[in-house]
Amino acid sequence: MKTPLLELNQISMTFGGLKAVNDLSFSVFPGEIVGLIGPNGAGKTTVFNCVTQFYKDYEGDVFFDGLKGKVDLRTIKVTDVIDQGLVRTFQNVELIPDLSIMNNLLIGAHKQFKSRLIDHLFNTKKARQEEARLSEKALEILTFLKIDHLKDFYVKGQPYGILKKIEIARTLMSDPKLIILDEPAAGLNDRETDELEALIYQIREKYQTTILLIEHDMGFVMNICDRVCAISFGKFLAMDTPAKIQKNALVQEAYLGKDD
Amino acid sequence: MLTILDNFTKRVHGFFQGHVYRNYLLFGAAVMMIPLMHNFGIIGSGTLGIWAYIVIITVVALGLNILLGFSGLISLGTAGFVGAGALGTGVFLNMGLPFELAALLTILIAAAIGALIGFFSLRVEGIYLAIATLFVGEILRQIYTQIEIFGGQMINIGAIRFLGFFTLNANPPSERRFLFVIIVAVMVLMMIAMHHLVHSKTGRALLAMSRSQAAAQAMGVSILSYRLIAFVTATVFATVGGVLYAVYIQNAPTTAWTLDLSLFVIAMVVVGGFKSIYGTFLGAFIIHGIPNLILAELFGDVSYIFSGVLIIVVILFYPYGAIQVFYDVRKWFHKGRLKLTTKRSDRSA
Ligand SMILES: Nc1ncnc2c1ncn2[C@@H]1O[C@H](COP(=O)(O)OP(=O)(O)OP(=O)(O)O)[C@@H](O)[C@H]1O
Ligand SMILES: [Mg+2]
Repeated sequence: MKTPLLELNQISMTFGGLKAVNDLSFSVFPGEIVGLIGPNGAGKTTVFNCVTQFYKDYEGDVFFDGLKGKVDLRTIKVTDVIDQGLVRTFQNVELIPDLSIMNNLLIGAHKQFKSRLIDHLFNTKKARQEEARLSEKALEILTFLKIDHLKDFYVKGQPYGILKKIEIARTLMSDPKLIILDEPAAGLNDRETDELEALIYQIREKYQTTILLIEHDMGFVMNICDRVCAISFGKFLAMDTPAKIQKNALVQEAYLGKDD
Repeated sequence: MLTILDNFTKRVHGFFQGHVYRNYLLFGAAVMMIPLMHNFGIIGSGTLGIWAYIVIITVVALGLNILLGFSGLISLGTAGFVGAGALGTGVFLNMGLPFELAALLTILIAAAIGALIGFFSLRVEGIYLAIATLFVGEILRQIYTQIEIFGGQMINIGAIRFLGFFTLNANPPSERRFLFVIIVAVMVLMMIAMHHLVHSKTGRALLAMSRSQAAAQAMGVSILSYRLIAFVTATVFATVGGVLYAVYIQNAPTTAWTLDLSLFVIAMVVVGGFKSIYGTFLGAFIIHGIPNLILAELFGDVSYIFSGVLIIVVILFYPYGAIQVFYDVRKWFHKGRLKLTTKRSDRSA
């Protein structure tokens, strides 16, 4: 069997007295699209925050076989996680409203800029060339997502569907090996959700990347995911193909409540 | 007729959309004309000093705009650093150093203190940061008035020798006008540097840090580095303002660097326009220029009451700063242009 790209090993995370994540283990393999599901408050976002090192005081280990070989992510600073080829989006779209869409993408390339403050103050040739090169890359991505015509508009005031796309576009700037998406379909209408489905496939194709996503839209999850991991109250329930997860008694119980 | 108008508007538009330096240089040239207006009797003789102060304080406020407008950070210690610029230059000049070296040393020392505050700012947020910087400013002020090398009341600087060969004294009007041109030139350079900075990776990272710390971190923006950069840049701008003060006024008081000044600089950024470079100048003009240049002549001592009212009105109607007025005008202008073009295509259809 292939070695996992991302490996969660007995992760627990406690807030005060609340165990938001409880002894959770699962793995994601290269090229997969994996869904992480669970009722509201199950601890899904918390798992993402542990993986991307926003939380450091989790128990257990997260291993990532990224751009720089296999690492224990705990040893990586939150701002260096992106260098490993691991990048994320947020449940409440986190963009810079008073920057253009183009500039929002360029933030995704922050670590690829080699020019320094001095270059920026004097706008040296080095700074200009780098800016041009990465803007070119951003434009390619925007064209791929069919929002290139909006590149110079502010993020503020764009419809929600576009915001979600910009956030995904920004992840692509870093040539990621694994993209983790926190509820990418939330707030989208049916047409947009279908479009997102196609887009995620295209991203996997074109950028040769792996995708881990949280989603409440079960139709979407069942359509798109190769495997699904279900959790409830921070605990692992099952991990399997979508068809089998749908039939799983534990999962049904978590979503529908126990029949008495 | 319409075609001519349309062509004209297109040209005006094209001109201002052109090279970024051009607008700043034109702006600088326009400000440099102010002493000439005095020669033609358009402005009074005392007013050049007021304009000089506007120019100097604009540089200071630009730095604060990097903090407040871009990085979402606050400082109530600005005055302390303007004082550092003026007094530091004075001390080093009196020690016999050449002007350029004196200015450079002053700026470097102030930048180091700025870095220290940036480092410290990681531990405190919002109102706590405001209070902490307030006391940095207070400590600096105490140092200036208590420590002997700052000369007690003030340091006399006197004529300044530039590049080792030409000397300018603030007293004769002809030389003072030349000094004015020099400080405007520095302001324009600082504006251009700031323009580059805010349109670069650094500017984007500062904005990202203030608008969404989570996104910034996920994209690799180190909050520590960029808080340091923000405070160091703001400090350097404030100190350069102080150096300009030393250059133009040619003496540096020890007691002038109080909280009032820091608050006025904040008001300039807020009233003029967050994140706007021209807006910062406009803010400095509204806060310092209007009461002293216009209202003082009309109303005498109570002019500050009127300027206070004016500022409140600006904030009420233009919460994003008075520079918004110009954006609105530009929008009308564009709309007008659009109308002209559509009319013409209607006709040709
Ligand atoms: N920073 C925090 N401090 C305290 N409690 C938290 C924190 N973050 C999450 N929690 C709690 O941990 C539990 C799991 O939250 P989490 O956001 O991970 O759920 P989720 O599965 O993402 O839910 P949703 O589907 O609603 O987004 C919840 O009970 C939540 O209230
Ligand atoms: Mg969540």
